[in-house]
Amino acid sequence: MESKAIEKEARLMKGNEALAEAAIRAKIDAYFGYPITPQSEILEYFSREMPNRGGIVLQAESEVASINMIYGAAGAGARVMTSSSGPGISLMQEGLSYIASAQLPCLVVNVSRGGPGLGTIQPSQGDYLQATKGGGHGDYHVIVLAPASVQEMADFVFDAFRLAEKYRNPAMILTDGALGQMMEKVILPEEGSLPKKTPEWATTGKPKWRERNIITSLFIQPEEMEKINLALQKKYELLKQEVRYEEFQTSDAEVVLVAFGLSARICQKVVELGREKGIRIGLTRPITLYPFPEKIINRLAKKIDFFLVVEMNAGQMLEDVKLSVNGICPVHFKGRMGGMIPSPEEVLEEVEMLLEKHSISHDMEVK
Amino acid sequence: MADKVEAKEVKLTAKDFASDQDVRWCPGCGDYSVLAQVQRSFPDLVGIKKEDIVWVSGIGCSSRFPYYMNTYGFHGIHGRAAAIATGVKLANPKLSVWVATGDGDLLSIGGNHFIHACRKNVDLKILLFNNRIYGLTKGQYSPTSEQGKITKTTPYGSVDYPFRAISLALGSRATFIARTLDRDVKHLQAMIKRAAEHKGLAFVEIYQNCVIYNDGAFDIYTNKETKDDHTLYLQHAKPMLFGKNKEKGIKLDGTKLKVININESDNSINDVLVHDEFDESPLYATLLAFMAENSDLPTPVGVFRQVFRLTYDEGVENQIAHIKAKKGEGDLEKFLFSANTWEVN
Repeated sequence: MESKAIEKEARLMKGNEALAEAAIRAKIDAYFGYPITPQSEILEYFSREMPNRGGIVLQAESEVASINMIYGAAGAGARVMTSSSGPGISLMQEGLSYIASAQLPCLVVNVSRGGPGLGTIQPSQGDYLQATKGGGHGDYHVIVLAPASVQEMADFVFDAFRLAEKYRNPAMILTDGALGQMMEKVILPEEGSLPKKTPEWATTGKPKWRERNIITSLFIQPEEMEKINLALQKKYELLKQEVRYEEFQTSDAEVVLVAFGLSARICQKVVELGREKGIRIGLTRPITLYPFPEKIINRLAKKIDFFLVVEMNAGQMLEDVKLSVNGICPVHFKGRMGGMIPSPEEVLEEVEMLLEKHSISHDMEVK
Repeated sequence: MADKVEAKEVKLTAKDFASDQDVRWCPGCGDYSVLAQVQRSFPDLVGIKKEDIVWVSGIGCSSRFPYYMNTYGFHGIHGRAAAIATGVKLANPKLSVWVATGDGDLLSIGGNHFIHACRKNVDLKILLFNNRIYGLTKGQYSPTSEQGKITKTTPYGSVDYPFRAISLALGSRATFIARTLDRDVKHLQAMIKRAAEHKGLAFVEIYQNCVIYNDGAFDIYTNKETKDDHTLYLQHAKPMLFGKNKEKGIKLDGTKLKVININESDNSINDVLVHDEFDESPLYATLLAFMAENSDLPTPVGVFRQVFRLTYDEGVENQIAHIKAKKGEGDLEKFLFSANTWEVN
């Protein structure tokens, strides 16, 4: 009992290290990665901690190699993951498309940084569209979870593997350099609490009682390829039951902020500051970015004056919010790019400016 | 106004090749020496104008090079410098195209592009800043790190085998292959000039000290006390001698190289191998390339091999000329109406 109590004790950890520690506790069989700022601590943590706690860690020659090692190991039935940041995740898109088509579970972590191109090593949310819309070629999606704290950096590793293995689909944790680098209190998930069994489709040899398993993404006959595509689409439809989001002071809100990850953390402060000023403001925070919580946003749209989407990009989740709102109420956007983080004060200023605009147009309508 | 304007060729100096950028490498980094020697050698390059020089790089500490050279510059993608440089060269063959790269950039993620640029003999000058570590990402092992190396990603020692960059270039058929040291400034300058003069892919491996994450990796080759016994300076048509008084030589024994003392009664200078840079066969150069990993033998620096072949861009131009001579100048109109065409009335 005593060891359990110690186990539950909160620790102060960097986001990247909490994520890596959680993955070891999720009993991953292998990690393949390549150094890139701001996520190299994940590879370094595994290199230090894995050898005597079970699991293989390999520094690959590139991110292209990493994702293909994942493809191989996942095909062999192992619980596997990789991590990188923007430029490296771009290199993995070919592999992700194949893995999605071959329907293999795995976890890819994107500790994103400002782009496009080599960009900057400062935090960004500019990879939202790449993460949620497939990213590579063909009709596929990756399950995307967006943590907003070091605690969630750890917890979502378990959630991501649970979803990836349930749906035989790659999952991604989309986080950013700030969450990866910052230190916070974290209570780590319990070791071994994620059940694991070798899947029946894995390439583990051929027993007498079944046909041999072949991992492929090639279905050259269009009729067959369409069947695969229909099956994938059915799966994505099913995935909608896994939608997760968080609401903060939305019940009486006239203005609702929509933000994910680090931006949501900032917006929580905006709501507090706004409420102090008597503004009826709330926050909806999508936790699963794919599947996207479109229903709750659509429902809110009927009750509020307007949405303000806040992102560290040029307006990417904005598209999904607009699709969910479907013209019911106005949707505004406040974004910073290139590694810049918006301050709660500047977001609140935007809210106040929009409120003024809306009250003017409201008055005009009344007159 | 005078009819003629006298335009005198101005002799450039090292300063003319220095950009206005603050150089941001760690104090004491070997990269400073490479930059200084490049800037000192470039004014002496014959037939290469400053305005025709382009520096291309990938990602890594060495890849900051284009910012610091007052020439055209291209800071590209991790590992892809050789491919980007190939594009630059083929788009404008009159340019002198230089690649600044590191052991991670060129040999890890960029290995594929490197071997194919060598194989094609694209007219590029590739300087490999080999410090046997990932510096920019703060100290992970690289494909040239020695086996057993302890780094942040190999805290219990690396288990895999390092590349020998020279033998990789040889195996990929690069036409000019040399090695030099960041701390031997004269030799470094000489190798840069030799690379510049070579028509075809010139590969220069520079042993470069990373003062923060792999300090002293090449001390043995540059330290006054140890360098005479551990560094073999290759010179064309000269016997391979080393040691404080040049008393030691390299002898070929079957298919193995060994060290002999020429002052001992059984040996003479005639037993010592004579270096031939221009040997058509890559066999000797390969033996020399493998010396670096052998603790019984000194590590060679200098030109391992230089051979002369048509470059890729020359090959392409020749082929175009040949096809034009055979088929005539292309005519779009003629091509469009060449076969299976009809008129609609």
